Amino acid sequence: MPRHKNLKKIVILGSGPIVIGQACEFDYSGTQACKALMKEGLEVILINSNPATIMTDPDIATRVYVEPLKVDFIKPILEKERPDAIIPTLGGQTALNLALELEKNGILQSLHIEMLGAKSEVIRAAEDREKFCRILDAVGARYPKSTMVRTYEEAQVVADKMGMPLVLRPNFTLGGGGGGIAFSREEYNSKINIALHESPTSEVLVEASIWGWKEFELEIMRDRTGTFVVICSIENLDPCGVHTGDSVTVAPQQTLSDRDYQAMRDEACKIVNAVGVETGGANIQFAVHPQTGERFVIEMNPRVSRSSALASKATGFPIAKIAALLAIGYTLDEIQNDITKTTPSCYEPALDYVVTKIPKFAFEKFPGTKDSLSTQMKSVGEVMAIGRTFKESLQKAMLALETDARGFTPVELAEDKLSQPNSARMLHLMQAFRNGLTIDEVFKLTQVSHWFLEQISELAQFEKNLSSRKELTEDLLKRAKRLGFSDAAIAHWRQVKPDEIANQRRQFNLRPTFFQVDTCAGEFQSETPYFYSTYWGPINSPRPKNEKSILVLGSGPNRIGQGIEFDYSCVRSVNRFRAEGFSVVMVNSNPETVSTDYDTANELFFEPLTTEHVTEVLRFVNPLGFVGQLGGQTPISIAPHLVEQGFKILGSSLDAIDLAEDRGRFNKICEEFKIEVPRSGLAANIDDAKEIVGRVHYPVLCRPSYVLGGRRMEIIENDSELESYFERHASFISKSNLCLVDEFIERALEVDVDIVRGRDWAVIGGIVEHIEAAGVHSGDSMGVIPPQRLKNETAIKIEELALRLADRLGIIGFLNLQLAVKNDVIYMLEANPRSSRSVPFMVKATGIPLVDLGALAILGKTRAEIKPERFKWRDIKTVSVKGVVFPFKKFFEADTILGPEMKSTGETMGRGQDYAEALLKAFIASHLTLPQGGEVFFSLREKDKAELLPLAQELLKMGYSLAATGGTAAYFRQNNVICEEVKKVHEGRPNCVDRIRSGQVAFVVNTTSGRRSVEASIGIRRSCIDYSIPCITESDAAQSFVVALRRARKKEFGVSPLPALQQF
Amino acid sequence: MANTASALSAKGFLIIEDGPSFEGVWRGGTPQAGEVVFNTSHSGYEEMATDPSYFSQIIVNTAPQQGNYSVDRNFWESERIWIRGFVCLEIQNSARDSHWLSRLSEAHVPVLTDIDTRTLVLYLRSQGTKWGAVVRAESEPEARLQAGELMAKAKVMAPDWTLHVCRRFAEDIVGQNPRGPRVAVLDFGVKENILRELKLRVRELRVFPSNASANDIKAYKPDGILLSNGPGDPVEVKDGLRTVKELLGFRYIFGICMGHQILSLALGARTYKLKFGHRGSNHPIRDELLKKVYVTSQNHGYNVDQQSLPPGVEVTHINLNDKTVAGIAHADLKCMSVQFHPESHPGPHDSVGLFDYFIKQIT
Repeated sequence: MPRHKNLKKIVILGSGPIVIGQACEFDYSGTQACKALMKEGLEVILINSNPATIMTDPDIATRVYVEPLKVDFIKPILEKERPDAIIPTLGGQTALNLALELEKNGILQSLHIEMLGAKSEVIRAAEDREKFCRILDAVGARYPKSTMVRTYEEAQVVADKMGMPLVLRPNFTLGGGGGGIAFSREEYNSKINIALHESPTSEVLVEASIWGWKEFELEIMRDRTGTFVVICSIENLDPCGVHTGDSVTVAPQQTLSDRDYQAMRDEACKIVNAVGVETGGANIQFAVHPQTGERFVIEMNPRVSRSSALASKATGFPIAKIAALLAIGYTLDEIQNDITKTTPSCYEPALDYVVTKIPKFAFEKFPGTKDSLSTQMKSVGEVMAIGRTFKESLQKAMLALETDARGFTPVELAEDKLSQPNSARMLHLMQAFRNGLTIDEVFKLTQVSHWFLEQISELAQFEKNLSSRKELTEDLLKRAKRLGFSDAAIAHWRQVKPDEIANQRRQFNLRPTFFQVDTCAGEFQSETPYFYSTYWGPINSPRPKNEKSILVLGSGPNRIGQGIEFDYSCVRSVNRFRAEGFSVVMVNSNPETVSTDYDTANELFFEPLTTEHVTEVLRFVNPLGFVGQLGGQTPISIAPHLVEQGFKILGSSLDAIDLAEDRGRFNKICEEFKIEVPRSGLAANIDDAKEIVGRVHYPVLCRPSYVLGGRRMEIIENDSELESYFERHASFISKSNLCLVDEFIERALEVDVDIVRGRDWAVIGGIVEHIEAAGVHSGDSMGVIPPQRLKNETAIKIEELALRLADRLGIIGFLNLQLAVKNDVIYMLEANPRSSRSVPFMVKATGIPLVDLGALAILGKTRAEIKPERFKWRDIKTVSVKGVVFPFKKFFEADTILGPEMKSTGETMGRGQDYAEALLKAFIASHLTLPQGGEVFFSLREKDKAELLPLAQELLKMGYSLAATGGTAAYFRQNNVICEEVKKVHEGRPNCVDRIRSGQVAFVVNTTSGRRSVEASIGIRRSCIDYSIPCITESDAAQSFVVALRRARKKEFGVSPLPALQQF
Repeated sequence: MANTASALSAKGFLIIEDGPSFEGVWRGGTPQAGEVVFNTSHSGYEEMATDPSYFSQIIVNTAPQQGNYSVDRNFWESERIWIRGFVCLEIQNSARDSHWLSRLSEAHVPVLTDIDTRTLVLYLRSQGTKWGAVVRAESEPEARLQAGELMAKAKVMAPDWTLHVCRRFAEDIVGQNPRGPRVAVLDFGVKENILRELKLRVRELRVFPSNASANDIKAYKPDGILLSNGPGDPVEVKDGLRTVKELLGFRYIFGICMGHQILSLALGARTYKLKFGHRGSNHPIRDELLKKVYVTSQNHGYNVDQQSLPPGVEVTHINLNDKTVAGIAHADLKCMSVQFHPESHPGPHDSVGLFDYFIKQIT
C-alpha cells in the first residue's frame, strides 16, 4: 500500500546548534529526509536554528525557517503554515523534546497536526526510565536493577541482595559528585557513607554495575506493518563505562556467536514493538557479560541518532531517508534499495568489510579539565574508516584523525592511561604491546575484549617485524599495507623517509584496490558510487583522464575550529560543479556529514584525508584536478604535497595560498597596500619575547606559529604573564617553531569579510561585525550582518581593500579576511585563502549564493557569465545575528571566559526586522535564558566599570536589582546606582559563588583580564554554568544582552522563511 | 601465532574448474574438491559447516573474519562437518583460541585464508556456481594438476546426494509436548534445529531415511509429515520423490528447502538451478500465509519454477530480492512448503512461526 493520501504538508524539526552529543549527523538525516519527501511531491517545511547546516539551504525544503527551536517561535510558524503532520524523529533529542512540548501545550491538537514517526506515548515510554523498565519486564528483557537507599542499614540489605560490584549515584548532586563504583563490600561500605552525606536529600541510587561488560548497539528499522530489520550491529571496543559516542566502535559486531546475536536481535524486535515504535529508525544498546554472556538492555532511542548516521555510512543503507518514507506510510518492501536498484529495503545489509569509528576529542581546548571518559559524552567529532579487516580499518581510522601520519604515535606508556578511559587510550593500548605486556595483562587493566586486544597486538608484533627484517621485501611491504600501516608508519619503523616507502611501493606496483560499498557483500550487481581503499584486492588500473571530473577534499572529523560549516561549502560546491556538468568525486572521513552521503557527489571515496590516501584516490580517478579550498585547513595543509606529485589544484594556486598563509610574505603585501598590521615579532624564547614587547607594548597576543582554531593563543598583559606563558608552552616553542608575539589591539571592532574572486570578477559576500571586541576568537564571538557599529565609509574601504587584496594575492575562489577597526584605522588580522566558517551564515543572511559563486570562480567562469553586479549584500532587508554555543557544561573544571582560543562547538542564527529582535532570537536559539527580573550580579574589571555604568542604571530601571563585588559595588554606589555588595570568594562566606549557587542571581556580568584575576574569578563563571545562569564575560556582549532583554518584554516575535537564494 | 606472522607459511590455492585460481595461505586440512558457493551470513560458521545441505560444497565466506567467537558443540546442525573447504580472508588463530581452525582441520576440511573473497564472489556471481578444489601446492600449475584429479574423483558419486547425508535407519524421538501431535520427518539431510523446533511442539516424532517408502511412513500413523532440507539436485532424489507423491493427500505435509522442491516436483512443478544460489541470513520474504514481511535464512542452489506450477498450487511466499517462488501451498492436497529455513541456525528467527502454523494444521 502506498503512502497516506491525506498528507500534503509536513514539518521537519532540525536539531539546532551543534553541541557535544548532537552534531551534524542530524543535518545529514534531516537533509536526506527533506530530499526524499520533496521528491514525493510533498510540501516540506523545515525549522532549524543552525545556519551552518545544509538542511537550512532554501532549496532543500519548500520553505525553511531559521528560527529558535522553542515553542514561542514554532507556534507562530505552525499557525502560519498549517501543516498536516510533523516529524520529530530526525532532529535528535532537541526535536523530540520540542515535539513533546508542543503536544503538551495542546498546540498540535488544536491545529490538527499529526505526529509522524513516533507518537508522544512512544517517546515517553523510551525516555521515562520507569516506564521503559516496565516494558522491559513485560518482554522479559533484563536491565541493571537499581534501588534507592536512604540509610546505611538499607544500603546493607540492598548490597546483600545485589552483590558486587555496585554503582552509587547520590541524588541531586551535580556531575555525579560523591558517587562511584564499588568493587568490594568494604569499598561499598565506605563509599555509601560518603554518598549519603553528599546527597542533599540523603538518597543514593544503588545500581547493579555493568562496568567492563561488552557493549553493543543495534540499528533497526520498522514499518507500520511490523516488518523489522537490523540495519547494522555495532560493537564497542571500549567496554561499558564509556559513553558510546566516546567509544571506539566497530561494525558489524565481531565477537557474538550467531545464537547470541540472534537472541539480541529478537529482544530488540520485542522491545521496539512493546515500546510502540510504529515506523522509522531506532537504536538499542546492550551490555553483555564477557564471561557468562548475560545480556542487559542499556537504553533505546526511538529516533534517528548519531549511530544511525554511522550505520548508514557503514552499510550504505540510507536510514534517514527510509525513515522519512516510512513515516508517510510506505512499507519497507515498497521502497527500493537505492544501492542495488533491484532489491527492496526490507533487507539486512551484509558487509564484506569492517568499519571502525574513532571519536575526536578536544580536551586540550579546556585547560583544567581532566582527560577522562565516562558515561557523559565529551568528544566533538568522529572519523570512520573502512578496511577489509579490523586491523586495516582501525589503522585507517587512526590516520583519519589527522593527528599523526604514522597513525599509532609511540607514547610513553602509563598504566593509568590504560585503566582509566581517556582520549589517548588507543595509543597506550598499542604501546602496551610494544612494551611487551601480555594480552591478559592488558585485559586486566582495560577489560577490552581479548579479540580486539589480539588484533592490536598483532599490529605491534608486526611493527617489530618491520624494524627487525634486514630487507623490506615486496611480501613484507604488502603485508604491512594490508594491515593498514601508512607509508609514514612503515618509514618510522624502518627508520627511513616516508618518500622512500612510497617509492618502493611504486616499484613493486603496490597500490590499493577500490572496492564498492554495496550493502550486499557482492551478492547483487550494484552501481553504488561509494568506495573504500584496501590492499586486499587486485590492483585497479587508473581510469583514463577525465577532464570533466573534479575531486573535492572534505574537512575530515569535526573539531572545534573546523566543523559543519565546511561541509556546507563542500556540499554546496559539489552541487554546483554537478550542475555545471562535472562529475564530482568526494573524499572525506567524517560519517556525520552530508558530504559523505553517497548521493551527494557522483562518487564518494570514504578515506582518511592524508596525503597518502588522497594521492591514491587521485591517481586512480584521474580527474581534471582537485579543489582544496572548501574543507577548511585540512585540505590546505595537504594540497602542497598533492601538487608536488603532479596533481592539479583548481582555483587559487599554491603560491596564492602561500602568499596569504605565510605571515612574512603576507605582511609585505600589507605594507605595499599600506594596510595596518598589528606590530609583531617572532620569539624563540622569553628573552626574544621581552625584546619584542619593548617595541610593541602590552597587551600582546602570543601563539606558536602554525596553529588551528587559536590553539595556545593567549592575550598577555604583563611580564609575569609572559613568563608564565613561555613556561607553560615551552614544549611548543623553539628555534624551529617560533612563537608569534603580536601587538593586541584593544577594544577594537572586529569584522569578517568573505569574498569570491573569479578571473575578471569578484563578489563580496558580506561583512559580519563581531559583537565582542577583537581578542575573542572569531568562531566564539557573536556576529551581526549588516554591521551595526561599523561606519559606512569604513565598510566601503574594507570592501575595496578586500577586492584589491584578492587581486594581488591572485585568489581564484574564496578569500576570508579578519580585520579590526579602531579609531577608523583598519588593521589586518588574518587572511584565509579558502571558504570560511562565516560563509554559510552569510549566505543565509544575504541570499547570495556565495559558495556557488566560489565554485564557478574555480571553474573559470568569466564576468560576462556571472554578472557579479547582481549580487549586492547591502540589499538585505533583515538583520541577522550569529549566536554561539559552548560545551562548558561537559567540561567540569574548564573556565568559560572567552579569549583567542576557540571553544565553541556550534552556532545559531537569529533573524529579525531589527537588531534587537535578531539578537534576542540568537540568544534564545543558543539556549540562553533571558530572565525577566531578579538580581543581576556584576563583577567588573576596572576599565569596564565606567562603560557599563549606564547599563547598570538601565537594568535598575527595568526592575532588576543589582549586586556586585566590592570594587564594582563601590563604583556603582558612587554614581548613585543602588547595589548590594557581595564578598569575593577569597573574602569569606557567604560570598558571590554561594549567592549564585543559592539561586538568588538571575544573570551575571563578569569581565576580567589578567591571569591572576581570571583565576580568582573562575568560581563565579563555573557556578553559572553548573546552575544554567547566563554569564556574560565581555562588556559589548553585556550591552547586547540587555538589548535582547528589553526586546523580550515585547513578547511578539515575527517569523519568516528564508528567502530563496539568488539564482544565476 | 598471529595470523599475519604465519602468513609466511604454506601456500594454498582455490582452483576453479575452467576458471581462475586464487592463491592464499594453506591453514590445514586435506585437499578436497566440491561445488564452490558463497555465503553472506555474518556469523554462524559452525552451523553452516555442519548443515548437511552443504554436503560436497566449498564455502566462501564473505564476512572477512571467521572463528572470532570460538566453537560450541551445541551449535552443530548434525553429527559432523560436511563442507569440503572453508575459504575466507582471516581465521582466528591466536594463542587463546584457534578452536574453529582446529575443528576444521581435524575434520580434514581444507582451510584457505588470505583470499580476496570479494573478487572471488564477484566472479561466482557473474559465472555462476562452479566446481573447484582447495589444495596445498607450491605453484599454480601444480595446484591445477591436483585439483583436476580431486574434482574428477569427487564427481563420481551417486547422483541422489540426500542418500549421502541422511540417516540409515528410522529414529524415534520423544517430543516435549505430551498433548502435541505425532510427526514423521523425511530426512533428506535434516538440520538438527528442525528437529529441535519440532520436539518443542510434538508428542513424538520419527525421522525416516530419504529412501523410506510411503508405506513405512503411513504405518507410523503420523498426524503430519515434514520434508526436510538436504543437498543436491532435487530431480535426482528419485526415491524421495516417489514417496512424497504417494503421501500427497494422506496427511498434512510441510516441506523445507529440499523438502519444498521435492513437494513441488511431486505436485507436478519443475525446478531449475539458480545461477549462484541464495546463501545468507538476510533474505527478505513476503509471507502471504502469515501476512508478514520478514528476513530469512537461506541456503539453496535450486529453485521452483513459477511458470510450471500446476493449477491448485498457490504461491504463498515470495523472495523479495529476485521475486522467485519461496513457498507454495495446496489447499486440497493439504500441503505447504517454503524454500527458506524457518529453523534458522544461522540467521534470524522471524519465520519460526511457520512451525506453529504447521502444527495447527495437524492438530
